[in-house]
Amino acid sequence: MANDREVLREIWDGKLPICFQLDQEEIMEIQQPDPFYVMVPRLSYFPLVTDKMKRHFLRYISQESADSEMWLDYNGQPLKWHYPIGFLYDLYCGSDPQLPWTLTVHFTKFPENILLHCTNKDVVEAHFMSTIKEADVLKHRGQVMSTMQKKDHNQLWLGLQNDKFDQFWAINRRLMESHGENEGFKHIPIRIYSDDGTCNQRLVSPKNNDGSRKILQQLISEIFPDKTEVKLRTHGIMIPPDTPLQWLSEHMSYPDNFLHLCVC
Amino acid sequence: MADEKQTDELSQAELSCATENLKSEEQKENLESAKSDKNKVDILLKATGDAPIMKKKKWAVDAEKPIGWVMEFVKKYLKLEPEEKLFMYVNQTFAPSPDQIIRNLYECFGTDGKLVLHYCKSQAWG
Repeated sequence: MANDREVLREIWDGKLPICFQLDQEEIMEIQQPDPFYVMVPRLSYFPLVTDKMKRHFLRYISQESADSEMWLDYNGQPLKWHYPIGFLYDLYCGSDPQLPWTLTVHFTKFPENILLHCTNKDVVEAHFMSTIKEADVLKHRGQVMSTMQKKDHNQLWLGLQNDKFDQFWAINRRLMESHGENEGFKHIPIRIYSDDGTCNQRLVSPKNNDGSRKILQQLISEIFPDKTEVKLRTHGIMIPPDTPLQWLSEHMSYPDNFLHLCVC
Repeated sequence: MADEKQTDELSQAELSCATENLKSEEQKENLESAKSDKNKVDILLKATGDAPIMKKKKWAVDAEKPIGWVMEFVKKYLKLEPEEKLFMYVNQTFAPSPDQIIRNLYECFGTDGKLVLHYCKSQAWG
């Protein structure tokens, strides 16, 4: 179980300043709307933090577009709402930080072939819970999630949605415990993304065949046998290559219980 | 070898005319899929709850395709209305994101050389 509680807190408190601007082509008023600035938790999802922003821009767009689904892009790259915000920033801006992060807001021309629809927050919740279940299948054959009560599941979601660290971790700690005689998870829930957004997910054990702790560098050479210098970033941090995967999983996973690492 | 070419590979063209192809697909259902192609993964589609079963359950699919593409195929194969929902589950536990790549799921959750996917028309495993 996680002992370095301060690390968990630091990760949880990570925030990003965002500057939202309405797509110029969608402005229907003579008066230009002001950009909308907001600090958002890195661990959250855009649909959970954009209600106010949407209301701010609604009066500047045409009536027909007002009911259509809002979406965001960074530099022409549509942003997937079902990835955590901090991960999206690391993926697209990690090697060239720009703060505040300036994003363009759209109400028309939804990129159907790139983005999933998100009609309300229930869709985000379903995605979030399903990802936790997947992670638990990898870590504990799904036994922790299946023995929890519905109210525990709700508490995970509400903890994230309301940015309540204690509420979330009161339940999440059970998902971060190792079972059985051996210390460590069965497998580490981990996704590694290249800068073109392609995702690699493999079965990763926290241990080497000889029983020693597997470190990040060993995983890198397994996944990228041809590359010599691969560095990985998460939560805005370059991860030291000698970090044990089990520790990384317990402390640096997103609330969906996955490690989301960007190649940089 | 001639027969092998006609095995149950699921291609983009087939998806677009899946319903038209049903008859010929049914004739092929006893054939084993071709394992020679490294970029293909075998999937086994199992109905759950109120979902109709598929006559042909085992398909070889392009591993780089997203799971949402398989969902679209099943919807067409079952002739569901566009507004009807289809849920797809791995390990009878979780619903992968439609943009998750089949290879990733196969690598992590494949058993006996295939990926088993359960589908249903209402939420089965939450």
